[in-house]
Amino acid sequence: MRHALLAALALAATPAAAQQARDSLTIGITQYPANFHPNIEAMAAKAYILGFALRPVTAYGEDWKLACMSCDTLPSIENGQAKLEQTPDGKPGIRITWRLKEGEKWGDGTPVTAEDMRFAWEAGRAFETGFGPAETYRSAYEFIVEDARSFTVRFDKVTFDFAGLGQFQPLPARIERPIWEADKAGYRTRSAYETATTNPALYDGPYRIAAVQPGAGVTLERNAHWAGPAPAFNRINIRTVENTAAMEAQLLAGQVDMVAGELGLPLEQAAALEKRSGDRFRFFYRPGLTYEHIDLRLDNPVLADRRVRQALLLAADRAQIVARLYDGRQPVALGSVHPDDVMYDKDAPAWPYDPARAKALLEEAGWRPGPGGIRRNAAGETLSFDLMTTAGNRAREQVQQILAGQWRAVGVEARIRNEPPRVFFGETVSQRKFTGMAMFAWVSSPENVPRTIFHSDEIPTAARNWSGQNYAGFSNPEADRLIEALPLELDPARRRPLWSQLQRLIATELPSLPLWHRADAHVWPRWLDGVRPTGHQNYSSLWVTEWRVKP
Amino acid sequence: MRLALLRLPQIALTLALLSLAAWLAIGLMPGDPASLALMSDPRLTPEDVARLRALHGLDRPLMERYLAWAMGLLRGEFGYSRLFAQPVVAVLWPALRSTLVLVGLAVAVAAVAGVALGALAALRPRAGGFVDALALLAQAVPSFWLGILLIILFAVTLGWLPAGGLPGEGQPAWAFLVLPVATIGFGQMAAYARHSAAALGEALRQPWARSARARGASDQRVLWRHALPNAGVPLLTLLALDAGSLVSGALVTETVFARPGMGKLLYDAVMGNDYNLALLALLLVALVTMLATLAADIAQRWLDPRLEEA
Amino acid sequence: MTRLRLGLLILALLALAALGAPLLQGWLGADPFQPDLFARYEPASAAHPLGADELGRDILLRLFYGTRVSLAVGLAAALAASALGTALGLLAAWRGGWVDALLMRLADGLLALPALPLLVLLAAVDPARLGLPRGEAWTDMLRITVILVIFGWVGVARLARAAALSVLATDYVRAARALGVTEARLLRRHVLPGIAAPVAVATSLAVAGAILAESVLSFLGLGIQPPAPSWGNMLANAQEAVFAAPMAAVWPGLAILLAVAGCGLVADGVARRGS
Repeated sequence: MRHALLAALALAATPAAAQQARDSLTIGITQYPANFHPNIEAMAAKAYILGFALRPVTAYGEDWKLACMSCDTLPSIENGQAKLEQTPDGKPGIRITWRLKEGEKWGDGTPVTAEDMRFAWEAGRAFETGFGPAETYRSAYEFIVEDARSFTVRFDKVTFDFAGLGQFQPLPARIERPIWEADKAGYRTRSAYETATTNPALYDGPYRIAAVQPGAGVTLERNAHWAGPAPAFNRINIRTVENTAAMEAQLLAGQVDMVAGELGLPLEQAAALEKRSGDRFRFFYRPGLTYEHIDLRLDNPVLADRRVRQALLLAADRAQIVARLYDGRQPVALGSVHPDDVMYDKDAPAWPYDPARAKALLEEAGWRPGPGGIRRNAAGETLSFDLMTTAGNRAREQVQQILAGQWRAVGVEARIRNEPPRVFFGETVSQRKFTGMAMFAWVSSPENVPRTIFHSDEIPTAARNWSGQNYAGFSNPEADRLIEALPLELDPARRRPLWSQLQRLIATELPSLPLWHRADAHVWPRWLDGVRPTGHQNYSSLWVTEWRVKP
Repeated sequence: MRLALLRLPQIALTLALLSLAAWLAIGLMPGDPASLALMSDPRLTPEDVARLRALHGLDRPLMERYLAWAMGLLRGEFGYSRLFAQPVVAVLWPALRSTLVLVGLAVAVAAVAGVALGALAALRPRAGGFVDALALLAQAVPSFWLGILLIILFAVTLGWLPAGGLPGEGQPAWAFLVLPVATIGFGQMAAYARHSAAALGEALRQPWARSARARGASDQRVLWRHALPNAGVPLLTLLALDAGSLVSGALVTETVFARPGMGKLLYDAVMGNDYNLALLALLLVALVTMLATLAADIAQRWLDPRLEEA
Repeated sequence: MTRLRLGLLILALLALAALGAPLLQGWLGADPFQPDLFARYEPASAAHPLGADELGRDILLRLFYGTRVSLAVGLAAALAASALGTALGLLAAWRGGWVDALLMRLADGLLALPALPLLVLLAAVDPARLGLPRGEAWTDMLRITVILVIFGWVGVARLARAAALSVLATDYVRAARALGVTEARLLRRHVLPGIAAPVAVATSLAVAGAILAESVLSFLGLGIQPPAPSWGNMLANAQEAVFAAPMAAVWPGLAILLAVAGCGLVADGVARRGS
């Protein structure tokens, strides 16, 4: 019996699927997109799928530098494509010209033009249509078509990342404009991207969406009119499998060839799979811009004391957790800025594990050992608070329990209390209803100024309709000054000291406890080559033309 | 027929009350569309949020919005799903079809296997212990766990069947149904086996069964021709009671096998704040359940005319 | 008879495990809540008789503590549902008329409700708003119990109503009524004994159902929250690592099996004894 089982296992190691000619690739992801319109709502699954099928004007590359995707050259002050100017009402502004690449075509053969960009701009300016981010379109007050392929946008705001257009990307105006003009508020659901998702004319990338199975997956086929380098596969199947144990099973059964790290297996599970599966798959871990941290409620009197916050971080053995739970695959964070970011300051205060110093700091703050091992202050209050996170996220629940154990060892009680994501994010965090700690992650882009997170104007209140993300309630004039100055400084060399000051300030004040930058676990078949995970929101699928089958 | 006429208004009233209760429950849960938009675009200003709330009608009182929605429903305007950016009906139909196929097959398999096991236990008292044990096992294994075990055995190790998902072009649909049907069917089988073993055993002990045997009829014949139709009524009730809970309860199986269906749709819609989808799905599931109960009651009366008088 | 005894024995052993958890803790010298990163998925050994879980905690010890939670949820939900169901079922049978009609329509309505989405809705209730402390294991247990009772009473009520109606229709009850026997006495002497057996069967099956329901809720992340162990959340947590450490899932699975088997045997035993 045992032998039979072993033999069966050996057979399973070489699935029949591996034998056929490789003109298709099946990718497993853990989420299904809520919609397919590129400019409405940002969502990981959609961004990943549309990466194969659409070309934004600009994107951050694997090296985290902004580059042209469908433009000729990146605008800069030096090359004259960007000019500082005054807005009509006298504010400092900027006008920038982009030129689309020669030969960019939609899937029906019509060229991508500046008119397509103009339509995207017009629809974006109409608030009721719901393009995001709203701030970009508000600031882009004038759009000028220079010629068929060039367009100029005038902004009433100058920021150092002016050359990037992000989600502001061309839309097939010929198809979409009439729909939008007929019903601007209903466009979100009436757009051809939702009603006729498989229309080839909607896509200008190497692939087009050829079939959709709602909730289950999407099939991509080669775009006949794609002018760039030819991709390796005729067809790419994207399969949605939300349960990660089921995803692992589908991978082992040969039903999916690879698991995209951007929406893939939890790091822990991937590391365990790597140990067991030998050389059947190739694993790649990319620490990215998903920053796991714990927001502290600073108006809680216990957590208002900076020494307590520092002590909490000193008492948390993050290096050990990373080593044991994640096989050392993701770096412990100093703060929200990623080590791969050009503006990263490696000399910001690090707070490595030091329980003795943590205890000393707590003593200094007036918290003395009390009955039951929990510290008390002179007023007899206990050093305890709630530690919340999203219920059902096992990775976070594990970390949460380990941290609670480590804090308990220095006399701090963290009471675990979790809620479903909808409640946790929908109210508890966003309306600042947590009383102690909230553990979750921020996803950002390279050199992202953390204005919404740390500026004192961004503390959510009912009066401000809960806008802003400064959930900790951090209010520091120096931080405000730096956050305001940073975007305006166009010279990277002069920006660097500002970034350093900000990182050091945050790492000292600790309005939130940094944990780590989450690593994406990519699982590829041995025969696949050329996938280059980026670690940020411009996913590897944008460079699908570099993916190759190994000879 | 009279029963149906009597029951249909009741069903309509229940649905109306349910829709109101569900609307209030979902509406009072945290996380409205405006706060979701705020999550995906943190730079929205307070004014933007206010405009968004007005755009989605969130600034109107809950009851007013309910009435507007209910009137729309009566006019046949079901609205759009927020999670799929599709008309609600376009999302619901495929999911309902997929779940009905899955659950229908599973219940059929469970009923046939369960009754066969029950008959075995009634005819061969020695096999009774085995049937009991199997029924116990079937009842005690959580479906998500059974699903994963089946996947490991049949998909990963043996490679006979797909591990989940939907069939692509040219792939046989039945292969993708075997494991999920087995997962639900195995759990459901227990109740049928128990009830039919009890009912059939009881029937065989009745005087008429004994006299039939005395007249030379074989045990088998007595069982299939006489005892089973008698035991059919309670089994049918069981079937009807299961129908509704199964349609929404297939959630776990659908998750493990990555099959889109009503259970997952309903769960995702509630969790993802998709009002239109959640409410209509909820009403649809309730309607299916009540119609199943009604059908079972009618069938019961047809099988056992004595009930008509009661 | 033997089934009943075997079932009761199993349940008694489980109850003993629940009570004896602190003793085992003292004997093993391990902490069921304190993670130990160096002992993750450790195989069985003298220190960890069944090995360690994903956070290096002793599985046997957590199973013992999990027995407390799982049995408590199962028993509380089943008993409360039975009590409520019996009371309402009797009320319906006794009063008849519009009371009966109202209760039975309510029951029909509840049966038509999809249980899982409602569970999700109720999981969103903030215990602090109801004046309950947050982050306590027992508030989770209460929440799950309340939900299971809402759906559980219906079946018992129908059973109790049917049984009570048939008792009330018998000649001796009619005779007793005619002789002026008080309602309370009639209830105590004739009706309650008549419905005891079916209600007992339904209750013991409901215990098993509640234990399973808790495991499904844990799978969805809506069950008993960490660090409190329950069989359901132990099983659900082991699910992600099923390929790497299957035994971590086998043990809680066996515990659930044992409890459900125990309840099933008791139900069978009672049913046979009744007939």
